[in-house]
Amino acid sequence: MSRWLLPVWSTLVFVFLFLPIIVIIVYSFNVGRLLVSWDHFGFDSFAAIVTKPAIRDAVLVSVRTGLLAAVIATVLGTLAGIAMARNPGKWVVWFLGMLLLISVTPEIVDAVALLPWMVFLGQDAGIGIFNDGTVRLIIGQSLFSIAIVSYIVRARLVGLDASLEEASADLYAPPFRTFVKVTLPLAMPAVLAGFLLSFTLGLDNTIVSAFVQVSGTTPWPVYVLSALRSGLRPEIAAVSTIMLVLTLASLALVALVLKRAGDSATDIARTMAGG
Amino acid sequence: MPFALALPAWVWLAVFFVVPIGVVVWYSFGYKPSIFSTNSNDRLSFDRYVEALSPTFFNTFQNTFWVGVIGTLLCLIIGAPVAYWIAVKAAPSKRGMLLALVMVPFWTNFLVRTIGWQVILAPEGWLSGALQFIGVIPGPLDILNSRGAVLLGVVYNYLPLMILPLYVAFDRVSGPLREASKDLGANSLVTFLRVTVPIAQPGIIAGVLLVYIPLMGDYITATVLGGAKGNMVGQMVASQFQTAQNWALGSAMAVLLIITIAVSIGVAALLLWLVTMPLRRRYALRLGEGS
Repeated sequence: MSRWLLPVWSTLVFVFLFLPIIVIIVYSFNVGRLLVSWDHFGFDSFAAIVTKPAIRDAVLVSVRTGLLAAVIATVLGTLAGIAMARNPGKWVVWFLGMLLLISVTPEIVDAVALLPWMVFLGQDAGIGIFNDGTVRLIIGQSLFSIAIVSYIVRARLVGLDASLEEASADLYAPPFRTFVKVTLPLAMPAVLAGFLLSFTLGLDNTIVSAFVQVSGTTPWPVYVLSALRSGLRPEIAAVSTIMLVLTLASLALVALVLKRAGDSATDIARTMAGG
Repeated sequence: MPFALALPAWVWLAVFFVVPIGVVVWYSFGYKPSIFSTNSNDRLSFDRYVEALSPTFFNTFQNTFWVGVIGTLLCLIIGAPVAYWIAVKAAPSKRGMLLALVMVPFWTNFLVRTIGWQVILAPEGWLSGALQFIGVIPGPLDILNSRGAVLLGVVYNYLPLMILPLYVAFDRVSGPLREASKDLGANSLVTFLRVTVPIAQPGIIAGVLLVYIPLMGDYITATVLGGAKGNMVGQMVASQFQTAQNWALGSAMAVLLIITIAVSIGVAALLLWLVTMPLRRRYALRLGEGS
């Protein structure tokens, strides 16, 4: 009996994990006024994405800020990850401590902290750029992603010894060329994985975005959150289905990149769980 | 400077994370001077902390702690067999796919998955209809906007965060080690408890922390499934900033939330250490005899 117990239990858990996702996908074909009450099958909700500007704009804001935040997080996180792996010292403990603090701080605390700070910088200190909705969203979405990218890049480079970089230096390559021609290519799989994970995190960011957003630049999850109060319509499920496909595509890409780089299933799981 | 490359990230995170959190701590010692103003730090006091712990709000702290502890335990109980199965019992060729199946829900938008549960649990939804049809419940399903729904939601939302580190932990325990244990006369249960669990312990602790910390600060699950009343600290903090416009009180609540999380983890670590002390002694003795 015990031979069957684990597989049966696991199957049940998988059903549990996929149930709401399947429900959302099915209900995105609901032609009705409200999401929860099924009327009949149709593609109206998908058509509404094109015809309703508010939905389209929200999705575009999410994609735009998600991409920009991912670029910033990848650049800052990669540099930090390389520094931690190649120039270890006492400072690494402090830096890792700060990254750990970011990972464990509840997002709602980040959110309520960032809002007054943005208001202070933008209005009291008069730095106009912090009144811009896109800038605020990019900053809010980048924080957690920087930590993730730093972890991943550091983990990859710590696993590879520095002999290639030493050889490059012995052959009279200046430090910058060694960095661009040797260190960066070595770190590349982790950099790409970090970029895609950051982009996905940015697309999904809800709590911080809801607090720092400025009306006019409402990202998609915040639009959904506000629709929660006014009544959820099937369009929400339709966009979610499309976003799900996008997310899965980028995750499949991450897995492929990591697999090409020689990671085992366990390594990939570790990376995807956020280091 | 060895940390020159890390400097941009350091500055960015200091300006947009450390300083804002510091400001929140500073605000928490202030007060709300009038209905038109959010906060003032003219007078400094611990009054906002006293206020945040008054019966009105303390209830929510208790409730959050209850959901946090029960939710984390449920995730561990539900997730551990799955992680163990994938890491040890399932065919190695299928592992990648099974892990991918755990990751898909993890990387699906948090809010959307939770809305999926709202659709399932709605009184006018299909589950309600099906349960009434087979006669399990007499009237429409009435579970939304309750603590039970929030608990279901958080267990669902954080379960992948438990399964993934547990998988990594169980995967570290090599097959030969377990076989050696069996060759030396231990049965499956003893092998599991004395070989697998001790080696996997860091991963188990990682999983528990990965679930417990964000769960305690949860805002979305409680908002979607728990209704407007708000029974988690996350919602309470948010409403102080958004609705009540009392930043001083909201800041004190946020700081108390972090303190609650840190202290409860500390106490749990201490308890774990005390409980396992007799075990460790016994092991130490046996090792001593053997050599």
